[in-house]
Amino acid sequence: MADQTALALVCSGVSKRFSGKYAVRSVNLSVETGTVHALVGENGAGKSTLLGMISGRLANDEGTISVFGEGLRVASPRDSRQHGLVVVYQELTMVPALTAVQNVFLGQLKSRLGVTSDASMRARFLEICEEFDVHIRPDVPVRELSISQQQIVEIMRGVQANGRILMLDEPSAALAESEREILYRILAKMKKRGTTIVFVSHNLDEVLKLSDHITVMRDSEIVESRARANWDKRSIVRAMVGKDAEIVRRESRPALGEIAVEITDLNLPGALHGISVVARHGEVIGLWGLVGSGRTTFFRSLFGLIPKATGSLKLGGHDVPWPRSVREAISRGIAMVPESRRAALVMGMDSKDNYWIGRRPPIPFLISPNRENPVAARDTTFFGFNSNRIHEAVRNLSGGNQQKILLAKWAGRRPQVFLVDEPTRGIDVGAKVEVLESLTRLAADGAAIIVTSSELEEVLAVSDRLLVFSHGRIVHEFDTASSEYSVEEILKFGFGESEEIV
Amino acid sequence: MNNPIKPVIAEAVGSPSPRGTMARSRDILNFTSKYAMFGVLIVLIIIATMLYPAFLNPANLGNILTQNSAVGLIAIGMTFVIISGGFDLSVGATYALGATLYAGLTIQTGSVFVAGIGALSAGLVVGTVNGLIVSRLNVNPFVATLGTSSIIGGIAYIYSGSSPFIVNDNPAFQDLALARILGVPLPIWILVTAFVVAAFLLAKTNFGRNIYAVGGNFEAAWLTGLRVKGMRSSVYILTGGLAALAGMMDSSRLGVGQADVGAAMALNAIAIVVVGGTSLLGGEGAIWRSAVGLLILATLTNVFYSLNVSQHWQLIAKGLIVVAAVAVDAIVRARSRN
Repeated sequence: MADQTALALVCSGVSKRFSGKYAVRSVNLSVETGTVHALVGENGAGKSTLLGMISGRLANDEGTISVFGEGLRVASPRDSRQHGLVVVYQELTMVPALTAVQNVFLGQLKSRLGVTSDASMRARFLEICEEFDVHIRPDVPVRELSISQQQIVEIMRGVQANGRILMLDEPSAALAESEREILYRILAKMKKRGTTIVFVSHNLDEVLKLSDHITVMRDSEIVESRARANWDKRSIVRAMVGKDAEIVRRESRPALGEIAVEITDLNLPGALHGISVVARHGEVIGLWGLVGSGRTTFFRSLFGLIPKATGSLKLGGHDVPWPRSVREAISRGIAMVPESRRAALVMGMDSKDNYWIGRRPPIPFLISPNRENPVAARDTTFFGFNSNRIHEAVRNLSGGNQQKILLAKWAGRRPQVFLVDEPTRGIDVGAKVEVLESLTRLAADGAAIIVTSSELEEVLAVSDRLLVFSHGRIVHEFDTASSEYSVEEILKFGFGESEEIV
Repeated sequence: MNNPIKPVIAEAVGSPSPRGTMARSRDILNFTSKYAMFGVLIVLIIIATMLYPAFLNPANLGNILTQNSAVGLIAIGMTFVIISGGFDLSVGATYALGATLYAGLTIQTGSVFVAGIGALSAGLVVGTVNGLIVSRLNVNPFVATLGTSSIIGGIAYIYSGSSPFIVNDNPAFQDLALARILGVPLPIWILVTAFVVAAFLLAKTNFGRNIYAVGGNFEAAWLTGLRVKGMRSSVYILTGGLAALAGMMDSSRLGVGQADVGAAMALNAIAIVVVGGTSLLGGEGAIWRSAVGLLILATLTNVFYSLNVSQHWQLIAKGLIVVAAVAVDAIVRARSRN
């Protein structure tokens, strides 16, 4: 048992029930002062709920939580804050119309004699930027910043609050690989100052890199909590899912069919330059590049979301005009699963209806459960969804299950070409494996799939060919079946450094 | 479909589900919170009969329904609009326009039929304009319909020359309100038919499902290829038509059509929708809920009258009920999230 004063945070016997069901059960957790403590587990394992109780956002039903030896009041964010706990939440909690500076100081405006002092807030903001080597324009409304910049602002808010314990819920999920370095730098400096850090993450490399201590949760309970030295990636995954789970490289590749889609010379001023892609039935094409390299813009152009895009398009061997609207793209057989699940699902609706909206119902004009249920069940099952749950509201499902429904919804339309943007973002390891594996099965059935992911390892695992995007161009193409490439080489192309370095 | 837990269907899907007793107790909780307003209605009816034994007389019940048929029709339209994520404040003015046109055109053309077609078309036109402003110009529905409300009100006043149209030489004019089929007044037939058709449209058709999708997540509905602008417009057109029909029924009952009626219509219709439990956030709710909401408010009004509660106190009570209903919705929502 460690010395009590060395413990920054102690949870003993903490439980939380939602509608009678345990979300967190009898959790005992000790975090030593000045260490970085990672909390990992699959979606729905209870990590965010535990963080919520510590921060006072949620009420714990049983147990006690104490900070530096003092007990916290139940469900009082104010009490937690006064004990030095600062939380950076997973969802961005910013006011879009306010500037970066105003958002960083939201709720704790610096004031002199009751008058807010813009100058001192701005000065402090720039100070933080300099200290952590971050470049964010202070006076721009946050809505004009990219999602990842907003995430950095969110973290800066946590930093400026100067807490003794900083808790972060998936701080890197919205960040591109290059931007994660900023986060790591910030955390390293905070640790040096003596701040205790507790964070939740799905990125195991990051967890292993940053933490002193790693705690794994599964099914609402803590299964193991040990010092970093006792863990490796494999053992974490085993603890998380209760068995070995690994992203397996696609081995056998089906014979490719006819050309499904042929995109020639797609241009969008300032964003895409001369993009040409050919995809055949049975093929999975991987796109990889940094955030902002044009991957998502490419998808959106093809899906009719960017009417200004120009290019020529052949689908199933026929020339077709470039789609100018979503409806046009869909009617030509293009399907897209966007990167944001929240933008693509009606959360209050059940899975079956989410599957069917936008499609022609089996009986014109009418909803026919007898005809609709089996189809939705069949297609969602293909992606590993438990079809007993097709009548549950989507908002009650985990991110992984939501993703499976979205994939089923679009794959079920049997599109000529299937565009899948970041299918594994923010979902747990088990679901990741299922999603990737089902995409390769879909290709084996003859679909033409183009998929992107920020995780290079994942795109490599599923794709037959990898196209590297950089600054709106395809800078290189790799045949992933051959072994004549290295990850370093791909990264070089992605970062646009190939010429200088080679 | 708007309801997350459907015990009956969940069982019908087959294969044993892993949900245990915990899930069952949650189902019961959901079931009770879903049908809570039914309980309120029953309690209210019991109180009403205790205070006023004649409450359950067929004549009294008939009166209640007839008096509330106009606001009931408008509440049906409002339910569609609110579930689609919109709002319509112009229903009162459209109601007045319908009443004025129906009476005015009856006097001018001598034909109740022509007048009816004219008034109804005017309502549909108003709805179309509302729909276009909201969906094509992207004006906030609150502001858009507040604006059109003022315009329509002005038009009704100008058309009527600020004085009521009194129809006293055309007995057919009062048929819409006073005719009976199988002994039941026509407005009740219209109201019940409208509720049944609306409930079917919203719960059993693809059109209804699309309305929920548009109100639940506009972006998702758009990305899935729905005609979102058309969907958004359609609910205002429906509401415009129903509001005009409501105005026609009331002017028929009174034998008079005038422009200065309907001021409280929007609030009353919204109250019915909200008391029934349809969320103002859009994407959730149901027609049967508005039917329950209508019966609750109608019963309450009837009790107030029987107790000689003054109009002014009734206004205060109605306002309190609306605020309370929305607050309860917000609390339940926060609970279920926790």
